[in-house]
Amino acid sequence: MSTATRARRYRDVPAALIFVGPAAVGFLTFYLWPAIRGFYLSLTDFSLLSAPEFIGLENYERLIGDHLFWNALLVTLEYVVINIAVQTVFAVLLAVLMHRLTRSMTIRSIVLLPYLIANVIAALVWYSMLDYQTGVVNQLLEWLSVDRVAFFGETTTAIPTIALVNTWRHVGYTALLVFAGLQAIPKQVYEAAAMDGASEWKTFWRVTLPLLRPVMALVLVLTVIGSFQVFDTVAVTTTGGPINATRVIYYYIFEQAFARFDFGYASAMSFALFVILAGVAYAQLRLTRASQSDLS
Amino acid sequence: MAIASTPQAGADLTPPPPGRPRSVRPDRRGVPWGRIAGWATLVVVMIVTLVPFYWMLRTSLSNTRALAAGSGELLPVDFTLGAYKRVLGLSTTAEAVSEGGSGASVNFWLYLRNSVIVATLVTAGQVFFSAMAAYAFARLSWPGRDTVFFLFLSALMIPPIFTTLPNFILIKDLGLLNTYLGIVLPGLLMTPFAVFFLRQFFLNASHELEEAARIDGAGHARIFLRIIVPLNQAPITTLAILTYITAWNDYFWPLLVGKSENVRVLTVALGVFQAQTQRGTPDWAGLMAATLIAALPIMVLFAVFGRRVINSIGFTGIK
Amino acid sequence: MTKARRALAAAAALGLLTVGGCSGSDDSSKSASGTITYWLWDTFQQPQYQACADAFHAANPQYKVKITQYGWDDYWNTLTSAFVSGTAPDTFISHLSYYPQYAAQSQLLDITEQVKKDNVDLSQYQNGLADLWVDQQGRRFGLPKDFDTVALFYNTKKVEEAGVKTEDLQNLTWNPTDGGTYERLIARLTVDKNGKRGDEPGFDKTKVATYGLGLNSSGGGFGQTEWSQYAFSTGWTHGDKTPWPTRFNYDDPRFKQTIAWFRSLVDRGYMPTLAIASSGVNQMDAYGAGKYAMVTEGSWNTKSYWDLKGVKSGIAPTPIGPIGKRASMINGLADNIYAGTKNPEGAWQWVKFLASPACQQDIVAKQGIVFPAMKTATVEAERAFAAKQIDVAPFTVHIKENTTTLAPIADHWADISALMTETMDSILSGKSGVDSLDGANRKVNEFLKK
Repeated sequence: MSTATRARRYRDVPAALIFVGPAAVGFLTFYLWPAIRGFYLSLTDFSLLSAPEFIGLENYERLIGDHLFWNALLVTLEYVVINIAVQTVFAVLLAVLMHRLTRSMTIRSIVLLPYLIANVIAALVWYSMLDYQTGVVNQLLEWLSVDRVAFFGETTTAIPTIALVNTWRHVGYTALLVFAGLQAIPKQVYEAAAMDGASEWKTFWRVTLPLLRPVMALVLVLTVIGSFQVFDTVAVTTTGGPINATRVIYYYIFEQAFARFDFGYASAMSFALFVILAGVAYAQLRLTRASQSDLS
Repeated sequence: MAIASTPQAGADLTPPPPGRPRSVRPDRRGVPWGRIAGWATLVVVMIVTLVPFYWMLRTSLSNTRALAAGSGELLPVDFTLGAYKRVLGLSTTAEAVSEGGSGASVNFWLYLRNSVIVATLVTAGQVFFSAMAAYAFARLSWPGRDTVFFLFLSALMIPPIFTTLPNFILIKDLGLLNTYLGIVLPGLLMTPFAVFFLRQFFLNASHELEEAARIDGAGHARIFLRIIVPLNQAPITTLAILTYITAWNDYFWPLLVGKSENVRVLTVALGVFQAQTQRGTPDWAGLMAATLIAALPIMVLFAVFGRRVINSIGFTGIK
Repeated sequence: MTKARRALAAAAALGLLTVGGCSGSDDSSKSASGTITYWLWDTFQQPQYQACADAFHAANPQYKVKITQYGWDDYWNTLTSAFVSGTAPDTFISHLSYYPQYAAQSQLLDITEQVKKDNVDLSQYQNGLADLWVDQQGRRFGLPKDFDTVALFYNTKKVEEAGVKTEDLQNLTWNPTDGGTYERLIARLTVDKNGKRGDEPGFDKTKVATYGLGLNSSGGGFGQTEWSQYAFSTGWTHGDKTPWPTRFNYDDPRFKQTIAWFRSLVDRGYMPTLAIASSGVNQMDAYGAGKYAMVTEGSWNTKSYWDLKGVKSGIAPTPIGPIGKRASMINGLADNIYAGTKNPEGAWQWVKFLASPACQQDIVAKQGIVFPAMKTATVEAERAFAAKQIDVAPFTVHIKENTTTLAPIADHWADISALMTETMDSILSGKSGVDSLDGANRKVNEFLKK
């Protein structure tokens, strides 16, 4: 490192303090501090309503032997895989189509419409539309001579159904993030590609996608983390059932904390989840080299 | 409005001619199959997106009590505007109850005002302060920068169950229960998402412009406001819209800290249309009417500010 | 450790009590001198309790009651958060599945002394209801507010189409072996897509248009409206005693037979599978859509069923079982007082008023929405229902004939409930047999020993 860069490295410090300051206050107060308390509570027996008692790693030992915890992780993973795969493919597709085909504000607004609806409402609407006996979707299926399906009711279909309902709500949002990334790609790049006679398809794979990488990394990290935190949809539809088929990790944590008043154990699971998510995010960032951009 | 405050700085730069994305060239064979397939896909996606909205509209125009018997009908069952009257607080208790509503009083315009205030404050604060932080993470060099950034980023993974209750107690101890400040405070200064999102875009912005400005003697504040922010108008506006929607739809937090009438936001107030008893049936028509009406202001917002996203396409061509 | 200090320590554990130097148990439980806060979840009942509050204020001008309502889904989370932060309401409507935990965590005010001092007559409430609100240490936390029992709701048109007379519904019999006349009725009311009835040859159980009996859920370990009316009519009870059993009876042969029979209705196509029943809209909406000819329901939902447009309903009593009697669970709500209230005297006066004839008999009963807990108010409530053309005798017959069984109430209920829901879901969806109840019951009894 040259002295010049070193000087530059420190030259920015006062400015950095000012620029990061407000956000840092928010971070310390509303995220870091509660998280540290949460970690402490995971080492206690704490019923929320009386004082916590330190019990060391007991909650973590219990967690390792709790088949419902592992089941919850598996169920959540199934959800994440379906949700992210479908959502990402459709979001990129939508974003590219919007970018290449039309500037229509109407279309863009429609795509984002589901995101304007609260999760709980979106879930309730689909829950009633997908009902086996009275749901309009099943009536359509019957009309098409396809057997009716108890989407939310069967252990096999419940998680995919929830994953797709949430895809419906979030795909526009994700597409918009991708779209913002597409806009950041200079038009000259496309012009050059067109000049070389590259087809749309080739341009997409050879030009668009690589240049989109930093944004895709961002989108994937955010959606994967968000996806792991699925809760509302389960809470208003299946409440973890049938049997344990949709008892996702968040719902299980919530139940332990608020229905069973076992906040210590809920904290331990939350922390375990935090570690898992941090691992996943770190791996994703490494794999996609999100911090670098091909443009700069 | 809040969002206007940030992108307005861009006025200093000469707006480029309205940027048009290059039209897609038809395939050499003449028939633009690619375009046709593209449009077909778009149309299908639009339909799947919109069908549930039609269903909500149809339900909102129905009589809640008749909905079960008419579950298969594609048109509103026992057509009535009663649900909208209930949501806007225009119907009497007797009218509401006769159509399956609860008759709880709804002071719609007050809640709407509260929602606008809360969502605007959150968006303005969060986007501005997060943009500042993102600038420091993306464009300034200082020791420990990446460590601090990853620490910020890790907050994304902190389960809200950790933070909600302690934050609630903090707000209460600060004496901010049932105040706007209490409702907006946790999201006012940053969210990890906003910082991460903007940093990613700021990383991409041209260094030449920045260097040129620096040579001209511009300070960080000026570079941030006059170059970085205008250059990234599209992502900033996108973020602002998403933040606004998220703040608008926020439910559990304002329910905890802002229950009193004078600061109650729309989502909390419209909770009276949800199921009241264990395994009860919600006032379906009222709930759907409430949902659609509550979404309207954001649609308007999006229609107005969404244009900025499009108009700013040209900006990226500057470099 | 005192209650206040425990609450303080809990609050400190979660948050930042040091900020501003505030303590965790000040303010908010009382907003103004003489104002008592009261929470409830059901908007439909809010008007009647508002009327009680007004009457209370008229009789005791020094007190004012402020009512706040939260829908069921938010009620308990919000309440718990309010306990944690010391901002809980002075008084609130409470439920059997929640109050034991709150009581165990010292959040509720023990009103034993007040009840004694003011000579509240506990025999004025329906038998047993008052006992539900006393914990194992003999502390009383509530006075009964209302009660509910279970009956059959049937679609009059579908019953008529099946050629069944409504008189025939009044004295149905049931047993776990062949289901008695009750099962024959259910079979008769079931119709497949081709119009064949469940008791006719050629009935296609895979293509049912209308199920004879609806299904709400597996009932978990509670089974209030799902299977308790059958199981009780075999002489079975949830535990060795109620309230506060020392062991549960889910492994009892009578219970297993009952559940096996219940499950067999699904196999025969007379009742929907659990998957179908839990795939979207609830039992009431499916009934309203004509998918169920008959359902078992609690009295609290009566008005909602009558409000359904396009369906005319009747009510019939639950069937007479092997012990020669009908059976129904009886359950009820009560009002609790927050232990941290700044106004225990006012809160007590209000709670006492809610449990008095002035509120229950003169106001609540006349609304015809629920049955108040007071014996004298039942007739008034019956009259109010009758005025709406609803004959609620099938609910009150259990009171007259003394065929009610108290709802089970036990420590660790949340754990028991979670385990039993899993077990019963599994049995009802055919993934395990009734013998899995043996293992489940063992685990349930282990919870009780904790």
